Amino acid sequence: MTRSARILLVDDEVPIQKAIAPLLRSRGYEVDVAGTGAEALSMAATRAPDVIVLDLGLPDLEGTEVCRRIRATSAVPIIVLSARGSDDDKVEALDLGADDYVTKPFSPEELLARVRVALRRVFSADSAEVGRLTVGDLTIDYDRRRAVRGEDEIRLTPKEFELLALLARNADRVLTNRTILKAIWGANAVEQPEHLWVLIGQLRKKIEPDPSQPHYLVSEPWVGYRLVTG
Amino acid sequence: MPRHLIRLALSLVAVGLLTLADVQWLQVSNGTTVALGFLLIVLVAATTSPLWVAITTSVAAMISFNFFFLPPVRTLTIADPQNWVALFTFLAVSLVASNLSSMARSRTEEALARRDEMTRLFDVSRDVLLMTDSRQALPDLARAVARRFDLDYAAICLPGVDGWDIAAGGALAVSLNPAELSRAFSGNQRVASGPLTLVPLRLGAKPTGLLAISGHAPEAGALDALGGMAAIAIERAHFLEELKSVELARQREELKSALLASIGHDLRTPLTAIGIAASNLQASWLTDDDRREQSELVLAEVTRLTRIFENILEMARIDAGVIATTEQWVHPSEIVEAARDQVGPGLTGHALSTSIQADVLARIDPRLTAAALAQLLQNAAQYAPAGTSIDIAVTTTDRELQLSVRDHGRGITSADAPHLFDRFYRGAGSGSRSTGTGMGLAIARGLLAAAHGRVWAENCTDGGARFTIAVAADIKPAQTGDSIS
Repeated sequence: MTRSARILLVDDEVPIQKAIAPLLRSRGYEVDVAGTGAEALSMAATRAPDVIVLDLGLPDLEGTEVCRRIRATSAVPIIVLSARGSDDDKVEALDLGADDYVTKPFSPEELLARVRVALRRVFSADSAEVGRLTVGDLTIDYDRRRAVRGEDEIRLTPKEFELLALLARNADRVLTNRTILKAIWGANAVEQPEHLWVLIGQLRKKIEPDPSQPHYLVSEPWVGYRLVTG
Repeated sequence: MPRHLIRLALSLVAVGLLTLADVQWLQVSNGTTVALGFLLIVLVAATTSPLWVAITTSVAAMISFNFFFLPPVRTLTIADPQNWVALFTFLAVSLVASNLSSMARSRTEEALARRDEMTRLFDVSRDVLLMTDSRQALPDLARAVARRFDLDYAAICLPGVDGWDIAAGGALAVSLNPAELSRAFSGNQRVASGPLTLVPLRLGAKPTGLLAISGHAPEAGALDALGGMAAIAIERAHFLEELKSVELARQREELKSALLASIGHDLRTPLTAIGIAASNLQASWLTDDDRREQSELVLAEVTRLTRIFENILEMARIDAGVIATTEQWVHPSEIVEAARDQVGPGLTGHALSTSIQADVLARIDPRLTAAALAQLLQNAAQYAPAGTSIDIAVTTTDRELQLSVRDHGRGITSADAPHLFDRFYRGAGSGSRSTGTGMGLAIARGLLAAAHGRVWAENCTDGGARFTIAVAADIKPAQTGDSIS
């Protein structure tokens, strides 16, 4: 890392800006602040942030719309701040390409951890070897369609491998149930999460050291799953 | 009856006159001509009078025909058998004709009466359809029945838990005997007892109540139809009441979820900011400026939370109806002062001007009025851009104190106007830009309702919005301190 990471903070609430911007700066990040969706879009284009922290309740544009427009031109990780009681907005944002979310009120450590994860993706993606991913003692080989833990090859069914590969390609990102169901079973299956629950259960038994305390395949309750690399 | 007697007399006179004319002046002796003349009189009598008048006229005409025209004249005897035939044919024709025309007449009268009853029934049904207040429905119905059918008394009697619920209308006051009502109700038949007629109200076979009427009762069919209509009207009133309570329950539910969503959002932002700022304050990297900024942030957000908290409490008090009013004489400037004080630092950034029209004292609840005014000031400060001025004006009429708050913001959009005083409504275009709670104007309205006042909003022709509070008040001129003895 030759330069410090640049973070774009998008929130219309001045108190939140005043609290979070110094927090991020204190950890050595460069912080730009935007108060509206329009400002966020223009700064996302001109300031080339490494991570965007985006509040969903903006005065001019829907947060989800901002998410969609940024994703149309850039792969920059987006962490959604959601103050809404319902999960619908953040699931929609994740479906539209956001990477992660934090629900208000959150602690500083929670936000910082998500920012670190997002940045790790950015900087590891630059130098990632194509075709394989290693997480702890787990290695996923996309080309040969197999997974190895330590010395042992894990026997996976085609669907199990597809799910593991999907999560690995999006390592540390939250994938919504909907996104996963659509990718693996097709558009008709998006209303049937039970497929996914069963498959996740099978996969955890094979790859997790302790399937009852998942270490790699972490569930985001009512939202989706992520493969944790940290 | 005397009307018919006059008609009878007129008919008899006509018979007499015709006889006289025929005998004395015209010297008619042709029986056919005379008989046709009499028949004409009988027919006229039959079309205008009851049957018995026509028959009496027929008999009189027959006697006169016999006596004066059939030979031998001036006797009641008849010589020629042909004339017997003529005489009885005349009698038979006039009787049949009388009967026919009187039947036609009574049919017409019946039809008119039926039409009249139909019209009345229709009028009652229209009255029923226009009833919207379910609590007033029964007395309204009784009054409508009494009025439309010109009755002295009409009452809707419904069997209640303890005894009969009676809603009465009409000029007469009648006390109904509960035992008699119960008997008629269980009999499920129309009952006439003394001046009263009791009609079961039926929807289907079982009666739901009774209609008691007194006065000139309509015909049986109309009474039954009226009973059926009253039953429908009562059913409709029940239905309206149910609908209203369902609607109320729905509104309460909506309010609750709006409360949760709104409070959830309003609390999360300051809580997040306070949490992060407080942990920032612990960090070692802070400069003095940073430290001051973070602690100011915490204080400001605590103030905001406090305001939300107080608003929630105030709203709960309004809902619970526990707002007591205490009226006392105050000078309007004290109200304005108290309201400004209550809003406090929220008003910095706006230039405040106050104009008080007349130096008077008003007898009002000062605390509630000031609290409502404070909500209007808070609202103006939030929605008008910083730097613009806010003008408070106090005017009085002889029985009202009016306090208005005028801002120089963007005014009220037509989309917002109907919802301004709704709870948790924050303006269609405001998004989450404003730090308001969406409770202020609703609270102002709630407080004023308790203090016999009202509040409304309008746009000023030269931009900005004006919110006005009007409180019912006794007004008297203010005395200077010197003149108080």
